[in-house]
Amino acid sequence: MKPGQNPIYRHILDEIGKMVQIHPNYADLQNQLALLLMVEGKMERAEIHLLKAIRLNPKYGEAILNLGFLYMETKQWKKAEEIFLSEAKRRPRDGFLQHVLGILYLQTGRQKEAAARICKAMHCHSHYRDYYREKGVWQRGTIHLDPKAEAALKRILLYPYAQFHNFVGLNLAKRGKFAQAVKELKKAEGLNPDEFIFHANLGTVYYYQGVYSKAIQEFQKALRINPLYGMGYANLSYVYGLMGRFREALRCMDKAVRLNPQYADLHYNLALLYNDRKQYRKAVLELKKALRINPNYLFARINLGVLYEDQKRWEEARREYRKILRITPDDEHVRKRLERIS
Amino acid sequence: MLREDFSIQANIRRMLARTDIDASQMEFGTVRGVVYIQGTFRLSRFNPSWDSDKVNQFAVNTLYLLEKKIRRIPGVSDVVFQLNNWKKEKGHWFHVEMTKEDENK
Repeated sequence: MKPGQNPIYRHILDEIGKMVQIHPNYADLQNQLALLLMVEGKMERAEIHLLKAIRLNPKYGEAILNLGFLYMETKQWKKAEEIFLSEAKRRPRDGFLQHVLGILYLQTGRQKEAAARICKAMHCHSHYRDYYREKGVWQRGTIHLDPKAEAALKRILLYPYAQFHNFVGLNLAKRGKFAQAVKELKKAEGLNPDEFIFHANLGTVYYYQGVYSKAIQEFQKALRINPLYGMGYANLSYVYGLMGRFREALRCMDKAVRLNPQYADLHYNLALLYNDRKQYRKAVLELKKALRINPNYLFARINLGVLYEDQKRWEEARREYRKILRITPDDEHVRKRLERIS
Repeated sequence: MLREDFSIQANIRRMLARTDIDASQMEFGTVRGVVYIQGTFRLSRFNPSWDSDKVNQFAVNTLYLLEKKIRRIPGVSDVVFQLNNWKKEKGHWFHVEMTKEDENK
């Protein structure tokens, strides 16, 4: 069944269409509508919405890429090249853009330029070296662009379709339709197995569904592709926590914090894990870090007060409880704790 | 045995995704089994043809259900709601106007 005939797709298209009418200045909505139209083959209308999205937010990377792919799909090579070259200039360390340029040149018969871009992609990230080796493009230190390898690389042109299934999957998950969401996200993953976010999203839906072993597998796949994806480690940690595998939960949350040291929430969760393992000194340190990032982080302050209390650091505990009661004077739990140690 | 606060947190995160609540403006924390819910309560989905009374009634039911579900999580001893736009008094939920300060948060 073509996406346009799919009732779920029609429902989402109607909904996004209405949202765009209500909020015409939301770049995100313009991009989502364009993606839905692209998949239905309505390229001219999709182009209009992508151009609107980019006008509203000239740095909107996903919309820019979608427009580039739209031009590739409609064989407007020059326009596509301009977009990807300009993006590659802006983000010279982004291997994906070099990779796409390589394919664009392959499509237009510019083999030498394609090979140069493939080399650049490998320099940007070692992941591409493995990828090209797997596809038979990189063999014994040289680039081989035979028809079979070319065909494998051209799968990247399915990028917008994979994005579409990912978007529909997320939309279904938001409505609580997890089984259908899994189906869509699997389609996205099938079209572009190298996109870490598809694995991460599938992992999240499995986590919400309570299918923990599959959630772990998907998060691990995402992290193999993008080892710097801190939230992937955080989600993996939550799943391990639900399975009672606290040592692994702690290890993953610690990695998440190292990769995203500016997220107060992650420090807070790491503190809970240390606290649960009775490593109170480390828990206090993490809570203090969370409070340095967000001084109004109330739960972190309550936890800190309780930890001080456990360590018989009465004055420090009282100080934290008084601060909390200044913000939330109705908190009976904290008031009782303060009364008990006053 | 007291269940770990961390697993309570992970459970709430999962549970919230399975409700009709838009949790993007809500925060939650757990302190020795006591769950705190703060921020602004919003519904993520409801029938657009409903009038405001029906939507409010649905919100009240969703809040009762939320509390019930959280209390059912192993290790949870109490739930403290500190919401900007809903208050619970003598067992009943009331919608309250948010202050300008809360709206800007």
